[in-house]
Amino acid sequence: MESLYLWPARPAASLLALWLLSQLFCWAARAPVHRAFRALGRVVAGAFRITARWCKSVSVSVAKRDREMVLEMGKGDAESKVAREFRRVEVSFAKELGRYPELHRKMDDLTARIDADYKECGAAAPTPPGWAEATAAVAKMPANGDNVVRKVLEEIHNTAKSGEKKALQEYRDATAKRHKILNGMAPMLKELKENAADAGKSVSAALETTKRIDQHMTAYEQIRKGEDKAVRAMGWQSTQLFVASLLVLGVAIGGAFVNFNLIALPMSELVPAGSRIGGMPVSTVAALVVVLMEVAAGIFAMEMLGITSFFPKLDLLPASRRRIILAVSVGGLLLLACIECSLAVLREQLVESATALKQSLAGVHEKAVADPAASRIPVVGQAVLGFILPWILAMVAVPLETLIATGGHIFLTLTAGALALIGTIARLLGHGSRYLVEGARHLYDIYIVLPLQIERLASGARPTIPAAKGARP
Amino acid sequence: MKRLSLLAVALLLSCSNSKNYAQAVVALVDVSGTYADQKPEVVNVIKRGILPKLQPGDSLFVIRIDDESYKKANVEGGITLDVRPSRANAQKLAFATQMDQFAAKRQRARHTDIRGAMMLASEYLKETGAGQRVMVVFSDMEEDLPKGVKRTLAPDEFAGMRILAMNVKKLNADNANPTAYRQRLASWQQQAKSHGAKEFAIVLEAEKLDELLEH
Repeated sequence: MESLYLWPARPAASLLALWLLSQLFCWAARAPVHRAFRALGRVVAGAFRITARWCKSVSVSVAKRDREMVLEMGKGDAESKVAREFRRVEVSFAKELGRYPELHRKMDDLTARIDADYKECGAAAPTPPGWAEATAAVAKMPANGDNVVRKVLEEIHNTAKSGEKKALQEYRDATAKRHKILNGMAPMLKELKENAADAGKSVSAALETTKRIDQHMTAYEQIRKGEDKAVRAMGWQSTQLFVASLLVLGVAIGGAFVNFNLIALPMSELVPAGSRIGGMPVSTVAALVVVLMEVAAGIFAMEMLGITSFFPKLDLLPASRRRIILAVSVGGLLLLACIECSLAVLREQLVESATALKQSLAGVHEKAVADPAASRIPVVGQAVLGFILPWILAMVAVPLETLIATGGHIFLTLTAGALALIGTIARLLGHGSRYLVEGARHLYDIYIVLPLQIERLASGARPTIPAAKGARP
Repeated sequence: MKRLSLLAVALLLSCSNSKNYAQAVVALVDVSGTYADQKPEVVNVIKRGILPKLQPGDSLFVIRIDDESYKKANVEGGITLDVRPSRANAQKLAFATQMDQFAAKRQRARHTDIRGAMMLASEYLKETGAGQRVMVVFSDMEEDLPKGVKRTLAPDEFAGMRILAMNVKKLNADNANPTAYRQRLASWQQQAKSHGAKEFAIVLEAEKLDELLEH
């Protein structure tokens, strides 16, 4: 600073002279400086505005792409749901309709038997018409003391009585027979009722399915029309699925980590421990490969079971080949699980051996703590863990597929949000920079306020502000 | 298909690292003068500080420093650990027993040929071809060559090696004049560095050895 002094011995005078010179210079350069400020404001604000506009347009197109993707996903989902319901209907109808002729025949048979029994109930031996009345009339004839007539009449009377008795017995027998037939009809009626109930249940199930199909079709229609409500619902559903699958995948990664640590040490017994790949010991890489192979086998198994659909080409394979691949995958998993189980046991032995070695080298011969080797629990626990973890890892395919399927929507949503936020910030910065440059221009004028006032007094008018009309670039 | 498999093999080979990650350690144990009394302690440091740190594939040699150390007979023992950890553990146990026998032997040399032992150690280290080469010297670092013995180090004698002077015992003269002790160590450091050593460090505590050896 002192180097700028005109008179180093008199700093105050030098500073005053410098100030006066700067005032003079700034006053003279006022118009071009104002133009420069305006241009700077326009450039900076314009750059921010262009950035904001670009961000907004990209954000809109990304959101549009996301909407299209969600609609496509929703459409595919609804179609698969409807197809699944139709498959259920088909299976159900095939099953129920297949049973229908049998049911119908059974019901026909039952009704025919019931009808026959009913008719049999109604059939009774007819009484000879007038015979009883004639016998009664003869029996009531007065006996005129003639022994022969009396005897005849008594005989007729006895005959009539025995006939009545016989008829009564026959009537009782017939009634008992009818009751027996009616008793026999009860199970048939019960069976008939059960068959009717079965048929009713099947019809209700079919009606339920049709109701579900109706609901799916309504949703499908809404998606096809691209209704906002449906898009929002689908987006929210995708987000939920993404979060859930992310959590499950996180747990699975934890399991993979445990699995990896379980087999990394004993793996050094199987592969050369000295070699390295990319700085990592081969045993570590081998353990990692085993874990990844389990995941891969799990993916193929899930694919063949129809739970996931990573590879569309595999869907086109015939059922026999799919069964072969499934058997290979499950067999591979079983083999890996057995290997891990044995490695877990080996690991325990190695740890015990290493501990014994350290104690021996350290000169510790007495066991200061209870001997953990006496308990087989750690070995069994590790072996069980080694066997189970591969199967759990195999399940990773399901959340992985969901994560990939819903990840696109999440990525696009986040991108659109981030772009919108950047756009808003750029717009704010544009406004801010414009007013900042304007403020700087005013500060410039404040600095040279004295020459400006002198100019105003000299000209007898208010000084013109050249930036007044160009304040808003 | 054949081309594809060849490409896969080539890729796999390119992935595998040509760098040798094995470690070779040579412990030089001084049995001359007053340092001879330190032998059991030194063997303990080897057993507890060096041996457990060795990984499958690593090597360890123990060389005795006496009147004329540049002899094969001065090699008290050596192992290269098997790649299987279980076998490596068995080798370590056997070596520890060998070291116990070495500690039990009564030996006291009249002269101290440190450079001869270092030259022998350097040859053993080079022969292993290990990526990490460490020389641990258990001595008072006061060389006293017998008459007529000459030791001239090659310019690249310790190329790529780390030299750790461990448990350096201070002599009576050092107590009287510590500067002499410091100058002696500085001279060794200068000598080691000028002959290609990657590092020369003084280790006072046995626990520090853990950090200095590669895991």
